[in-house]
Amino acid sequence: MDIAIIVPLLAAAVQSGTPILYATLGEIFTEKSGVLNLGVEGVMIVGALAGFIVALATGSPLLAFLAAGLAGALISAVHGVVCLWFKGNQVVSGLALTILGTGLADYLGTSYVGRTAPGFQPVALPLLAKIPVLGPIFFNHDPLVYLTYFIPPLMWYYLTRSRHGLGLRAAGEYPAAATAAGLDVAAYRWCGILVGGFFMGLGGAYLSLAYTHLWTNNLTGGRGWIAVALVIFAFWRPGRAVLGAYLFGGIMAMQLRLQASGTQLPSSLLLMLPYALTVIVLVLSSWRRGMSEAPAALGVNVEPTD
Amino acid sequence: MFRIRITKRQEPRGWSSCLVLLAAIALSLVLSGILLSLRGTPPLTGLAVLFKGAYGSRFAIEDCLVKAIPIFLCSLGVAVAFRLQIWNIGAEGQFALGAVGATWAALTFPDLPGYLLMPAMIIMAVLAGGFWGMIPAILRQRLRTNEIIVTLMLNYIAILFLDYLVYGAWKDPTSFGFPMTSEFSPQAVVGRIGSTGINWGLAHCLVLGIVVWVFIRYTRIGFELKAAGDSVRAARYAGIPYDRLVVLVMVISGALAGWAGFLEASATINRLQPSIMAGYGYTAIVVAWLARLNPLSIAVASFLLAGLRVGVENLQLDLQVPAAFGGIIEGLILLTVLAGGLFNSYRIAVRRR
Amino acid sequence: MRLLKALVVLMLCLSFSSVSAADKELNVGFIYVSPVGDAGWSYAHDLGRKALAEMPGVKTSFVEAVAEGPDSERVMLNMARKGYDVIFATSFGYMDPMLKVAKQFPKTVFMHCSGFKMADNMGNYFGRMYQARYLSGMVAGGMTKSKTIGYVAAFPIPEVIRGINAFTLGVQAVNPGATVRVVWTKTWYDPATEKEAAKSLLDVGADVIAQHQDSPGPQEAAQEKGVYSIGYNSDMTAFAPKAHLTAPIWNWAPFYKNVIEQVQKGTWKAESVWPGMDTGIIDLAPFGEMVPQDLRDKVMAAKADIIAGKNAIFIGPVKDQKGEVKIADGITAADKDLLGMTWFVQGVVGTTE
Repeated sequence: MDIAIIVPLLAAAVQSGTPILYATLGEIFTEKSGVLNLGVEGVMIVGALAGFIVALATGSPLLAFLAAGLAGALISAVHGVVCLWFKGNQVVSGLALTILGTGLADYLGTSYVGRTAPGFQPVALPLLAKIPVLGPIFFNHDPLVYLTYFIPPLMWYYLTRSRHGLGLRAAGEYPAAATAAGLDVAAYRWCGILVGGFFMGLGGAYLSLAYTHLWTNNLTGGRGWIAVALVIFAFWRPGRAVLGAYLFGGIMAMQLRLQASGTQLPSSLLLMLPYALTVIVLVLSSWRRGMSEAPAALGVNVEPTD
Repeated sequence: MFRIRITKRQEPRGWSSCLVLLAAIALSLVLSGILLSLRGTPPLTGLAVLFKGAYGSRFAIEDCLVKAIPIFLCSLGVAVAFRLQIWNIGAEGQFALGAVGATWAALTFPDLPGYLLMPAMIIMAVLAGGFWGMIPAILRQRLRTNEIIVTLMLNYIAILFLDYLVYGAWKDPTSFGFPMTSEFSPQAVVGRIGSTGINWGLAHCLVLGIVVWVFIRYTRIGFELKAAGDSVRAARYAGIPYDRLVVLVMVISGALAGWAGFLEASATINRLQPSIMAGYGYTAIVVAWLARLNPLSIAVASFLLAGLRVGVENLQLDLQVPAAFGGIIEGLILLTVLAGGLFNSYRIAVRRR
Repeated sequence: MRLLKALVVLMLCLSFSSVSAADKELNVGFIYVSPVGDAGWSYAHDLGRKALAEMPGVKTSFVEAVAEGPDSERVMLNMARKGYDVIFATSFGYMDPMLKVAKQFPKTVFMHCSGFKMADNMGNYFGRMYQARYLSGMVAGGMTKSKTIGYVAAFPIPEVIRGINAFTLGVQAVNPGATVRVVWTKTWYDPATEKEAAKSLLDVGADVIAQHQDSPGPQEAAQEKGVYSIGYNSDMTAFAPKAHLTAPIWNWAPFYKNVIEQVQKGTWKAESVWPGMDTGIIDLAPFGEMVPQDLRDKVMAAKADIIAGKNAIFIGPVKDQKGEVKIADGITAADKDLLGMTWFVQGVVGTTE
């Protein structure tokens, strides 16, 4: 393969990795607080629809993008109510959220099919886009891609250096000790769910406002689940999430390019690649560290005490 | 100022837990009704049409039973794994591979007499499904790989593998190029009971349901499952081989889903085609949880959720409500029942501060 | 005994109510394989249904997202039992189930799209979309400079393969030596994947993108890259005004109206119809302004030939990818062979698996 193919492939990897990256960052945030939200797929699709509707109604992509985040936070709040208030099982509640979110988006979105909404367009960054190789790969995208260059470092700073971030992690690692130290574990977990849901909603909106400017059922196409897997691959670190999302985006872009270049391999087998890769990557990362990096109290509800 | 106090119940509630369940379902129906009226559909009429479509006639009930068969078997398997706190989301893929295994037998030995062919199909389906369930179990046991993600990814792979076969090697030469295998020979088809539309798969469900119930309730391994599910650490101290149990339950889980795949290919479709994948494996998870992993309750819940699928068709036909409405109700019921669990395991008191 | 009596009364009531309903107006039911929200195939049929709903004395309804196989059989049975007079089923896999139901309800009119089996009360229909595909291929062939055209395609089934072949023959009619590269997405409506597939074709040098997909994702990709595109299903100009050259489009309304009028007059009989461009059921969307006049003239001349029956498109010699002659010199391919087409013509780069 020569550079003329590799550069567009990597640029495509960045773009198709971006919606997954938003969602993965959201899920990392939620899981750091000790809450497992398997409903990413449902939250994303609700965000995608909300963004699309607002873009159509207001004509403002920025407003639409924010609305998608809010919608993501809102539907994630259902998970919060069930798990934090009613102590429901987090795994099952997340699955239910996926079923509900997908259903809601299809149900409410019927009349928006076949329309096109104003969204974000690619903007080549001055100077940066001119850098050979790196320019076309990283600096010739839409603004929402550029935004993801800032979020991981900020999230890393928040989680490891800020006081509030330490509290959030304490809620995910040692809720009992955190409570004893006077921290409001429930409040931190709510924060994890809502902020995480906000990012997942943004990931959905990336699909309906930037990647395409359309709405259809199944717009997310399983990307939410990939995000859940990438969290484990990333060892719950925002930086590695970037790597994982781009790797995954790259493999998706590559299987299509293999077909385009005239391979004789059956398409069903090529389409398996991303999923097989996810399993392999998971196996490799567990081989090295296992689940030891996971927040210790992940998925465990806090038992009420007197 | 009031303060809500929640304490853990020492003993689970008895019959009143049914009340909580009913209240939760009622709440989800009210919420669905609100969604219906958002579209301008009269909610009460809508729900009536839904129920009439699901249970309002002999045909409807037969249809529900037919649909309940694969859901029941998948759910039975999923529930065995859940008992051990193993989150098998992979019934869908295990179901697909079961159908592939059974179809392989049916296509390879079309002329065998039924008493040989049928068991061969079942064995292949069970082996294939069980194998697909075993992969995530081994990975979990050896490398502590998260089974939720692995089972889920294996679903996609299994479905694409099924696609690969029916679009390629197994395509019926007389199907005008459409992705389906040739129709099974009559010996490979599980027949219908008398003049009803229900197939003998229902009997398979009955037998397998009882076997699983006896296994959980009366065998040593069943007891170990329960103990290990309650507390992994305690089980290890008691000398229960937890890791081996994980593999065992996943194989059982996969085998049952595979059996469901066999029945769906043999009894209802009579061939293999991509539309065999109808999401039963995911509904099975909902069912298992609603039924709190109890085989008898799983039977009831399978029938109810099968009814939801059938009834929604009626709702579309009569009132033009989108098909997605079924998913919304399913999600809502699961969430409300889950939330309702609080009242079963905790005592709630409101006190004046 | 009392229960039996009650049941009989209930059944009588039900049957009477359906008879009286049928007297008043014509009930027409549609069943779709995907949600109407797919913006494509089912959506196009549903536009036809909406046109029917405006006819006097006609009431329509539909059920969407019905899996091929037993589910579709149940939905059609349900429609027939409810007294629907005409039932349209719009996916290949509905053929065998519809045949079964048609035998049980001889008074109901059944119409199946894209298949070949018939009964006294069951006809089938399809449109010769390949004619419009051929014309759109001519446009693409006339506009390409790199001699490479990209084609984003859904599933390797005969309908899609036939379209790609006709398109390629059209390309070669104006630009011998140009090749058509195919990427399969295995989805009908996933805008993001389909757009990515189009981009992958652009990266290997394609400068016109055609599609057999329901979403306009590929159109957007072409516009962003500043190259040309060919739409599908309906005029997609709105999605990519600078790229959109033309599109082969469906227009089911006149056909459906015609069938219903025949049924109303009592002149309907079961036929196998495969109407072409002469009936208006398929057409070519208006040209984009970048298409030069001489190319327009060429395409319009070819269109006139097709309408006049002078160009059947699949006329020998037609060779496959390996160079083997599949349609002998001077022979026009039979409809049966077109319906079951599973090979690519020379000039297509890709595989049918």
